[in-house]
Amino acid sequence: MRAEASALQGSMPARAGIGLRAQHHLHVLAAAAPAAWFEAHTENYCADGGSHVECLMKVRERHPLSLHGVGLSLGSTDPLDAGHLATVRRVVARFEPGLVSEHLSWISVDGRFANDLLPLPHTEEALRHVSRRIAQTQDALGRQILIENVSSYLEYRESSMREWEFLAGVAAESGCGILLDLNNIHVSAHNHGFSCEDYLRGIPRHLVQEFHLAGHSRIQSAGRDILIDTHGAPVCDAVWRLYRDALRRFGPRPTLIEWDTDIPAFHVLQTEAQKADALSTPEHDVAA
Amino acid sequence: MTSLRELQTRMLEALLNGPSGDAAELIDAAAPIALSRLQVYRNNVLANFADALRLTYPAIWRLVGEDYFRQTARNFQRRQPSQSGDLVHAGRCFADHLDELHAESKYRYFADVARLEWLIQDALLAAEHAPLDLEKMAGVAASAYDTLRFELHPSLRLFESRYPALRIWEVNVGSDEEPESVNLDAGGERLAIMRHRLQLRFHRLSAGEHRLLDEIRRGATFMEAVDAAARSDAEFDAAAALQRFVSIEAIVDCR
Repeated sequence: MRAEASALQGSMPARAGIGLRAQHHLHVLAAAAPAAWFEAHTENYCADGGSHVECLMKVRERHPLSLHGVGLSLGSTDPLDAGHLATVRRVVARFEPGLVSEHLSWISVDGRFANDLLPLPHTEEALRHVSRRIAQTQDALGRQILIENVSSYLEYRESSMREWEFLAGVAAESGCGILLDLNNIHVSAHNHGFSCEDYLRGIPRHLVQEFHLAGHSRIQSAGRDILIDTHGAPVCDAVWRLYRDALRRFGPRPTLIEWDTDIPAFHVLQTEAQKADALSTPEHDVAA
Repeated sequence: MTSLRELQTRMLEALLNGPSGDAAELIDAAAPIALSRLQVYRNNVLANFADALRLTYPAIWRLVGEDYFRQTARNFQRRQPSQSGDLVHAGRCFADHLDELHAESKYRYFADVARLEWLIQDALLAAEHAPLDLEKMAGVAASAYDTLRFELHPSLRLFESRYPALRIWEVNVGSDEEPESVNLDAGGERLAIMRHRLQLRFHRLSAGEHRLLDEIRRGATFMEAVDAAARSDAEFDAAAALQRFVSIEAIVDCR
């Protein structure tokens, strides 16, 4: 099983891919070479049929694909949602993605869903709990999944370790890989006053299998300046610098340009993808 | 020591229902800052829910306007928060909520429009199915007609309303222009809503046709369904109905 999964993962190029959004479906199907690979939100393609599902089938015939979920609520203390997990399993079987990922967060408790990626306290209890649930998910899907660090706007009193220690600990205990969202690191570092360099140094090199790049916005909250992870703007200079640092530490990995709100024309995403590729491709490769 | 369970329960209660004081104590910041950070999450939780509801109910959104829609979404979320990691299900009971809200008002028709929009979403997300195999149909022995059962297209949804909901939906969805006015006294509609390949289609039904499809949907044999349809509609023509439903691919299999 493990060998099969890694063969699929090998099909994901260590280049920039683009987040597939419904607004761009027709454009992507008509274009000759729209992107090196695509990432789709798992929950947007859970239906039995219809235009979204048909479009993704066609995209999958032509391009490597990653499926990125938001709905499993892996950090929740409710029982794992067997129905939703079965749906994800069906979607994964249908589209055969090279990578499957979810978030290091919780979105529900007592059967009520916030449907927003809420942070976990960085405690031993939460680490063990979420690791167990990730392991269960991997068993159900028959493959390794990647877990993404989320942006956060608050920290809990209960936390006893830094976020990167928590993330690395979860990966070590559950056997999952890490999807490192560099924008989320930048946003949380600003909001909580930690160092992005410390974060990168705290993540073992071999665990990182994908990067996310995105934009954020800035608001005033209780007289303080905080960053909000909107995924609705170009990647900022500081995040591009962090991407360079991450490339130095972890090497080139599949890197997603992610845009979820105020979605621009597709060529804007392609330009961002080219920028990412220029940074991850050594100069002699570009010249050749 | 706060358990993970307790932390999550207090957080979610604050995010869905407020007030946030109980959850603010969990947060590693002075109270005003903790409250403002919780408010960021509360705004997200409502916005995600309202945005999902808007995707399901574009005509209702257009009819009531953004501010009232978000306010209604917020009240609905408090009463019936999402029960799934997939927000496509969040609006399941929205029509009932509107029905209760406007039971005695001139906006009673909102609930009919919302019911229609829910069924449209359902039809758009349903599985595909090949048309009826006519050779298989021709091979059914005459002696088997009495117990013949038909299978309907997976996307087919039956709709019956008191108000002209489809007309209201049509003038509010698909055009940015000021919608033309609809006569609410024009009466209700009986429809089969279907996705044909990737196209949404609406078929107006007579009372008998509606009853026939409803009986088939419930698992009745064709003969039972015809009897029920004829009882409810004196003008019902079984042969014509069968021909129509095969040709629009409402009927896709028989057994």
